[in-house]
Amino acid sequence: MLIAFIFLASMTLISALAVVLSRNVVHSALFMSGSFLGVAGFFVMLNAPALAAFQVLIYVGAVTVVILFGIMFTQRPQVRRFRLIINRQMWSGLFVALGVGAFLAYILSIQDWVGTSPGYGPRETAELGEILLGLNGAPEIFSLLFEVISVLLLVAVVAAIVVSRRKTGEGIDRGVEE
Amino acid sequence: MQQFLDSLNATLPLEGYLVVGAVMFAIGAWGAIIRRNAVVVFMCIELMINAVNLSLVAFADYLPNAGGAGVGYAVLVVAVAAAEVAVGLAIALAVYRSRKTVNVDEINLMKG
Repeated sequence: MLIAFIFLASMTLISALAVVLSRNVVHSALFMSGSFLGVAGFFVMLNAPALAAFQVLIYVGAVTVVILFGIMFTQRPQVRRFRLIINRQMWSGLFVALGVGAFLAYILSIQDWVGTSPGYGPRETAELGEILLGLNGAPEIFSLLFEVISVLLLVAVVAAIVVSRRKTGEGIDRGVEE
Repeated sequence: MQQFLDSLNATLPLEGYLVVGAVMFAIGAWGAIIRRNAVVVFMCIELMINAVNLSLVAFADYLPNAGGAGVGYAVLVVAVAAAEVAVGLAIALAVYRSRKTVNVDEINLMKG
């Protein structure tokens, strides 16, 4: 357990740091998928194998591919000095992030979580489905959230198409040339 | 030796997962603050969302009275994050079409 935890934690955190500090945008995207894989491993350790499968399918698969397409469409070759990938808030941003991280870690560590032990989560996929539908004692708000999230996904897909579509007659290859 | 092996096999405390989640959240926040490229800012936001998901699942597995609700919330968060990526990258694409850049400090259209 401990070895797996240390391996997954270092993989997740080092990949996350590499996303922030990598000078090549494509390397950032690949490191991001490595970080997501580490989180998927954590989900397996936390008795949520169905969620780990979701994580690999949606994040490591779909989101990474969509972001790589976004990089393909929006980046042009540029000078990649480290000074140029960050804006002027390097040190103040570091202080803010360190403050947030230290505060969260401190608060979450000193808090007395009464009687914690692993194994209370829904290990079976059927239990997870019942939670999502608000059955068998799960909070009933989940059935509403489930419907809302369906509508939200539909609206988001339509919105993405509308925002990114090319207007007719607005330049033939703008955005592709160069 | 046996004691060492036992300590390797012991169950981890809840705080271990929570601290990893908090540090990952802080790294994502740092990247979202300092990077200029809008696509990398999206990636850092995804990192923050994943850190929160990790905390939610850890709570669902460790707290006896939670009833595993955190896993349900994590599924909903994954769906919202997927929608956010679709809309966000569409906006980045639209901005690139009109401004020829996605560097967030050069897009000052709404600056008074």
